[in-house]
Amino acid sequence: MQAALSCLLAFKRIGIIRFARDLGLVDVDAQARRMLDLPAAGVGAESLPDLFPELIGNEASVRNVLAGKRTALHLEYVNRRDRQGELRFLDLLVLAGERKNEGLLAVEDVSGKGRMLQELTQQRHELLLYRNAVHFREHLISEAILGRSPAIEKVRRMIRKISRVPSATVLLSGESGTGKNLAARVIHHSSMPAEAPFVEINCAALPDNLMEAELFGYEKGAFTNALSARAGLLQEAGNGTVLLDEIGELTVPLQAKLLSVLEERKVRRLGSNREVEIRARIIAATNRDLEREVSAGRFRQDLFYRLHVVAVRMPALREMDQDVLQIAEHLLKVFAIEFKKKSVRGFTPAAQKRLLNHSWPGNVRELRNCIERAMIFTESQRIDADELTLLASRRNPARSLEIPPEGLDLEAVERQLIEAALQRSGRNKSRAAQLLGLSRDTLRYRLKKYGMG
Amino acid sequence: MDGGICVEKKKICLLGAFAVGKTSLIQRFVNDRFGDKYLTTIGVDISQKLLAPFDSGNGRMCQYHLLIWDIAGMDRFDKVVESYYRGAAGALAVADLTRENTASGLTRICRNFRTVCPTAGILFIGNKADLHPLKGPVSAVLEQVAESFGGQCRVTSAKTGAGVAEAFQLLAETLEKG
Ligand SMILES: Nc1nc2c(ncn2[C@@H]2O[C@H](COP(=O)(O)OP(=O)(O)OP(=O)(O)O)[C@@H](O)[C@H]2O)c(=O)[nH]1
Ligand SMILES: [Mg+2]
Repeated sequence: MQAALSCLLAFKRIGIIRFARDLGLVDVDAQARRMLDLPAAGVGAESLPDLFPELIGNEASVRNVLAGKRTALHLEYVNRRDRQGELRFLDLLVLAGERKNEGLLAVEDVSGKGRMLQELTQQRHELLLYRNAVHFREHLISEAILGRSPAIEKVRRMIRKISRVPSATVLLSGESGTGKNLAARVIHHSSMPAEAPFVEINCAALPDNLMEAELFGYEKGAFTNALSARAGLLQEAGNGTVLLDEIGELTVPLQAKLLSVLEERKVRRLGSNREVEIRARIIAATNRDLEREVSAGRFRQDLFYRLHVVAVRMPALREMDQDVLQIAEHLLKVFAIEFKKKSVRGFTPAAQKRLLNHSWPGNVRELRNCIERAMIFTESQRIDADELTLLASRRNPARSLEIPPEGLDLEAVERQLIEAALQRSGRNKSRAAQLLGLSRDTLRYRLKKYGMG
Repeated sequence: MDGGICVEKKKICLLGAFAVGKTSLIQRFVNDRFGDKYLTTIGVDISQKLLAPFDSGNGRMCQYHLLIWDIAGMDRFDKVVESYYRGAAGALAVADLTRENTASGLTRICRNFRTVCPTAGILFIGNKADLHPLKGPVSAVLEQVAESFGGQCRVTSAKTGAGVAEAFQLLAETLEKG
């Protein structure tokens, strides 16, 4: 029987390690030595856990096996890298030995089986991940860009469309604080493969020559400090996205270069005449009115037209009606988690009214700061109006209205304002009246007067 | 330094659904490497790392030798998985910030883990922060799960390395001494 057993073990390529009660090694047979890449004599290890750290934590179970309190201890698919760095899978089985106070550890190389299992599991996981990725992208857009107002619905619709065309250049405009950077990231994450890079650069941050080097890259020696060659951001972004923030600050000569990049999809590093292909999507963002910049001669018209093909305007918070409340509630939850203040559940009606009436010149960023501050200091379950610190409100816009030297037509201005309010409110008359500081009836009267009803 | 530093071996486990980034977090922490290619882990893979020495009180310096267990197959819980967990002083419970169900799924996994290691500390990790444009705190779901186990929550990216060393360090600080 003993001989037959040895034969079976050898045939099945099962290695045997004998160890003592204190887990000190007694003997490691040739088969086990081969599997564990150990020298023919000596093992350089004193105890079983030195050889198999996988047994650490399980010492008591091993002793129980030796004491006959437990039949065996089994560890499956223990990962090992062999000398070539190849992954191998070992199966470990701890048993009581023939001699008293001695244990056996049977090691079997199950790499073949392990690889097969690996492949099958991998396929299953990849399929599930793929399904999830599609789902995630869809969700991301609605999770990141909150609100139900027509203005923000339009943004979401556009981003959904843009995310299906990963090569299209995009222009994001909107006042500062409206979330242009977030929108750019959402466009990136919803249209690119997960590993695609997102790089951003602020066009106002660097002087012209550095900006150029940063964007297009340079060869060694192209200028005094170019000690080694470097790829530009446009190239580094690979198949991902480059966000050019504050594009309105780019100088006219760089605007010309950028235009040619957008048209040719190629760049030349400074000091090189070899062209490199650009595959990344370019998103430009600005809080300036580029059309006005064009008229003033500060922005190239051809670049403006090129960028304007796919343009998304991020609405100001004051154009988003009741969305202020939804976003405020969301931010409240976020900060409740961050500041461990989950007892704070919402806003009092007075606070809600205050949020709705403020004009939010700093947009979502201002709202975020406002809620953050309130959440830090509040001790109640509902944030009240006086806990909201608001920037000086521009509720009274008189100072931004000036009478031009040639005079104006007050009725025409009034008509324009009414029309603007109707547009902003999605032609909801009550809301338009609210925006104009009029009662519904007064608004109705004026609409009739101007034949706008 | 003579007679100075005591080295203590500590076993910690990485828990969490497939592809949340358990292997990647270990690779980042131990070898400061990251690979985009996904190769699902089968069985158990142990990595080791020596942490910086700390003063264990009474002026004696101590150092943790971490045995980090990368464990596969969280969808089952049997004798084999039990022996993978046994003796762990702590665990990182990892969720993928882009897959909400990986956060809720941690409840079952951690409950199983706690039946084997009732006193082990668990630190909850929302990984793949680089893929999530909302730079806020971790997802509310993960936060809730963490709270129900009395654990803290952190956000990491194995890809950029953000928060990774801090997470392992924080877990080490909560391990029971001795
Ligand atoms: N973008 C990004 N990808 C990550 C991050 N961490 C892991 N990944 C990727 O996610 C995939 C899965 O990562 P793994 O580390 O293998 O996940 P795991 O949890 O070990 O998976 P299993 O072994 O199957 O349980 C790989 O393609 C990784 O490159 C991260 O922080 N950011
Ligand atoms: Mg893995």
